[in-house]
Amino acid sequence: MKCKACDREAAERDFCLVHLKAYENLVEKYDCWRKALKISWKEYLSEIEQNPLTGEWAKEVANYLISNEETRNVEES
Amino acid sequence: MGKYTLIITEKPDAASRIASALDAEGKPEKNVEKGVPYYVAKRSEDIVVVPALGHLYTVTSKKRGEGGYPVFDFRWVPRYLAERGAARIRTWLKVISKLAENADTFMNACDYDVEGSIIGYSILKYACGNKENTAQRMKYSTLTKEELEKSYTEPLSSLDFALIEAGLTRHEVDWLYGINLSRALTTAAKNYSGKYATLSTGRVQGPTLKLLETREKSIKCFVPTPYWNIKAKIKIGRRVLEAEYEKNPVEIKAEAEAIIDSCKGKDGKAEKIELKKFQQMPPLPFDLGSLQSEAYRLFKCTPMRTSSIAQRLYLDALISYPRTSSQKLPPAIGYHAILKQLGRTREYAKLTSELLAKPELKPNEGKNIDLAHPAIYPTGNLPERALYSTERNIWGLVVRRFMAVFGEPAILQSIKVTISINGNRFQLNGRQTLEEGWLRFYKPYVKSEDTVLPPTKEGQKISVKKVVLEDRFTKSPSRYNPSSLLRRMEKEEIGTKATRAGIIQTLNNRKYIREERIVVTDLGFEVLDVLKKYCPTVVSIELTRKLEESMNEIQQGNETRENVLQDTVEILKPVTEQLKEKEQIIGARLSQALMKSRLEERTIGACPICQNGKLVILRSKKTGKRFIGCTNYFEGKCRTSFPLPQKGSVKPVGYVCKSCGWPTVRIWMKGKRPWNLCFNPECPSKEERSEKR
Repeated sequence: MKCKACDREAAERDFCLVHLKAYENLVEKYDCWRKALKISWKEYLSEIEQNPLTGEWAKEVANYLISNEETRNVEES
Repeated sequence: MGKYTLIITEKPDAASRIASALDAEGKPEKNVEKGVPYYVAKRSEDIVVVPALGHLYTVTSKKRGEGGYPVFDFRWVPRYLAERGAARIRTWLKVISKLAENADTFMNACDYDVEGSIIGYSILKYACGNKENTAQRMKYSTLTKEELEKSYTEPLSSLDFALIEAGLTRHEVDWLYGINLSRALTTAAKNYSGKYATLSTGRVQGPTLKLLETREKSIKCFVPTPYWNIKAKIKIGRRVLEAEYEKNPVEIKAEAEAIIDSCKGKDGKAEKIELKKFQQMPPLPFDLGSLQSEAYRLFKCTPMRTSSIAQRLYLDALISYPRTSSQKLPPAIGYHAILKQLGRTREYAKLTSELLAKPELKPNEGKNIDLAHPAIYPTGNLPERALYSTERNIWGLVVRRFMAVFGEPAILQSIKVTISINGNRFQLNGRQTLEEGWLRFYKPYVKSEDTVLPPTKEGQKISVKKVVLEDRFTKSPSRYNPSSLLRRMEKEEIGTKATRAGIIQTLNNRKYIREERIVVTDLGFEVLDVLKKYCPTVVSIELTRKLEESMNEIQQGNETRENVLQDTVEILKPVTEQLKEKEQIIGARLSQALMKSRLEERTIGACPICQNGKLVILRSKKTGKRFIGCTNYFEGKCRTSFPLPQKGSVKPVGYVCKSCGWPTVRIWMKGKRPWNLCFNPECPSKEERSEKR
């Protein structure tokens, strides 16, 4: 199966190894953002996607999550 | 001429200098036979000095023309038998052999390091008819007349066989790694796609690429987090200064805003003033790594370039042997004499006389010792030819660093003023140089960081103009540049001081990395992924370091060449088997990455006409002519195309035209300066140019 963010082979959570690492970083750093700005997961993703300091792969994952239903799932969980 | 002493040097320049130093009148006779220069120096005895051209012998597989892998049997052969384009080595060796026939004494005068020892050893063994056991060794660190005379009259009685053994092992181990792994990758890609492309990796290349890949991944996966810095703009006397909030950075915006609110409209008070005197010790003498780092910091000179310039300056007898890891300057080099000689130039006259007036000259040295050579120092000779600007820069840097290490410590004072604004503490920091010490000698290369604060007393009321909140985000780890990568390799103990810069260059040549702030390419990622997946041992930093240690052990006499080679073969056997077994999958992955990399190389930028295609450099199948076309052409969506010059080479360089914003290409033509070409036929710059005409 292909990765959801690129055409590499998927490893876990339907992401390839590099995008999986970027996804894990995204989830981990959400805590800091929530504490700092009291923002929702969706707002967070949008901030991350627009931030020029975000890494290329993290941006690709954020972009994927924004345009997919999973956004809601993560927020709810 | 009767019997004579035959001296072998590493390079022609060194031969000329050694012959001049040893000839009684300083004018040796230069002869050239079949393009090979050699010198006859006369003193109480006759001396013939003949140069090598670096390595004249190399490792190759035992069976000639064997192209597959694995290959574990090797032999040492003249380079012309193993490498294309090395034909003149055959003549070179013939001339050396002929000169050896009438010699009764042999000396190796190649650079006193591993490579120099191997170069001399292999020539003495193979070209001079097994003279390696009777030959003597000249040991020197500078090519000055005095030192060369001394090293000739007091040579080492034999070659350094332990060093040679370690060096030969390094070459053989590196060859085994390089040939097997590179062939496995290249063959896999070629068998899959039918196209040949050199893909290489090696004992040091792989782990170095891994270091870069780890950094690249953390940059590409980086998620920034917000924080806030609070600063107070305060006025003391007539000066407006910026004081930092004591608890910066603040990680919660609401907290930061609350502090700003509580400071609003309030004046400050200087609560505490702390003064601290401290010393800044002189820098350490240069070893190759620190010279490369400093040259990159100051002149943006890559480590590879610094290394070759330093070698040039060494051959001109301006500086000592550069490929050293020593941080020591022993008194035997003659501090006084060097400084006196340097003082002949107006630029250094005042500084050197200051140092010479000191009762004792004692350099500030580091811990690292290199048994073969001291740290890099100027010989005291002044340039005999006009130096190029980069050569002048590097020489000047070595001279100033040499002077600085003898300087006194600089005495500095830091001032910290704590200002309270409604209970919130801010800090104002200043720094002042009280005594310059060594900084005076190294001045063009150290920036003064002095910030003198206006006089302030404890309890003084401070006027606060504004308290501001700065939005900030954490930044990803910075990219390696050639200098920081070299330092990291040094720290990880992978490669040697002589090979590290070359390894970085090879990674560039193979297109695994690009740009000065190093970016790992998709091809680099793919090659490393393949190696990590199918043979993780060969990219292990630990393993490479262990091998380096084994080779040092050989030099100390605690390990044998046979053992290390056997260990290497045992590591490589299962690796090559695995690579062979997975050749098809590996070939597919590498071929795709190569295709992508080739396309990227030809991609100029977004198509300005259809907006979603990419402009690439293509070649017409019908006419063979090159042109620029849109990738959407193949899908019938965009027919954009532009002509290109048919001569010279064309490459995209990532610049856009200043006049029209279209992407440009760079053209290189023989005999002309390269230029950037805007291929937009309606570019305003073209109209301007035709109007001018």
